[in-house]
Amino acid sequence: MKFARGDSRIITYALGSCIGITFYDPLIKLGALLHIMLPARVDPNDPKVFKYADSGIKETVRKLTAFGMMKNRTVVKIAGGAKMFEMKGSSDFGNIGQRNAAMVKKILMEERLRIAAEDTGGAYARTMLIDVSNGDVVIRTVGKPEKHL
Amino acid sequence: MRLKRYEDMNLQELDVMKEISSIGTSHAATALSKLLQKEIRITIPEVSILGYEETVDKIGYMEELVAATLVTMSNEVNGLMLFIFKKDLANAVLEKLVGVHIESFEELDELAYSALEEVGNIIICSYVNAFTQLVGVEIDLSVPGSTVNMLGGILTVPIAEYGYETDKLMYINAEFIMDGEKLSDGLLMLPDINSLNGILERLGVS
Repeated sequence: MKFARGDSRIITYALGSCIGITFYDPLIKLGALLHIMLPARVDPNDPKVFKYADSGIKETVRKLTAFGMMKNRTVVKIAGGAKMFEMKGSSDFGNIGQRNAAMVKKILMEERLRIAAEDTGGAYARTMLIDVSNGDVVIRTVGKPEKHL
Repeated sequence: MRLKRYEDMNLQELDVMKEISSIGTSHAATALSKLLQKEIRITIPEVSILGYEETVDKIGYMEELVAATLVTMSNEVNGLMLFIFKKDLANAVLEKLVGVHIESFEELDELAYSALEEVGNIIICSYVNAFTQLVGVEIDLSVPGSTVNMLGGILTVPIAEYGYETDKLMYINAEFIMDGEKLSDGLLMLPDINSLNGILERLGVS
C-alpha cells in the first residue's frame, strides 16, 4: 500500500488476479493505492497485512483516517481480479480473482465505503494508476486504449 | 526435516532440484529439437527460489507482453508448471512451424497461438516425464491453458495459487541455444509444499 498527498502519482503494474483499490479524499487531496493478492488473512500473526483484502483494506482505512481522510468524502475505485488462464475441464482453477473481488466488495461495504467505479474480471492484466492531484484513475491493458475510471 | 516454504530448501536440496531440472530441460530440448528439426543445445539450468518481483525481473519486465502455457499437476505431486515464451523463442518456433514472424504478440493469429500452446505443452510434458522417471512418482497433467498477456499478470497466477503457503517461486532458467543464438524462456515448476517434501524424501535428501 502506498499513499500520498497533493502532486504525485501512484502506480501498480500488471494486476492479474490481484486487485488494486484506490482511495481518494478530494478535499485534502489524499490518495492511496492498495494492492491485495488474496481474500483473507487466515493467520492472525502474518505480518503482511496488505497482502489480504480484509486486513489490507482495514489497515489502509485506519492509516488514511489518521491522516485526515473522511469516509463520506472518499472515492473508492477497484480494478483487477482477472482469470488469467482458462483451464479446460477444471473451471475452479484460477478463480481466485473472483473471490478477491467478492471479498473486496464485502469489506468495503462493511467499512461503509462506496465503490465509485470498477473494472474487474476478464482474462487480462491491468496496470492501475492514480493521480493524487485530481483523483483521476487510469487503467492500462494490452491492446486497448487507456481507460479512465 | 519437513519444509514449510520453498525458501527453506538447503543447498544440498537445491542442488538435487538443479540436477533433476538439468535432465528435465534436456529432455524438453530434445523434444523441441525433434519438433523443429533443428539442433538445440541447452545451458545448465539455474534453479532459483525467487520472490514475485525478482522473478519478473529475471524474465523481463512487468508489462512485457509474453505468451505462457500453464499445466496443472495432480496425483502424487500437486502443483503447477508454467512455461513462458519471450518473443525470440516464439519466433524461432513460429518461423519453423507455421512460417510467420511476429513483431509483437498482438499479431498472433489462432494458428500461431495454438502452435505456441502445443510447443509449451510439449516442453512441459517432456520435462515432467523425465522428472517422474527420475523421482519415481506418478504425475497426471491437465490439458494446457494459454494466454498472451503482461508478464507481471501471468506470474500472479502461481503467486496467488500458493499465496497462503509461500511468496516464492521456483524458477528454472535454462537457455535454449539454436543456430548459435541464445533463446530466452522461463520454466516454472511449482509443486505445493507437501509434494516438494515428498519429492525430497524420495530422493533421500531430506
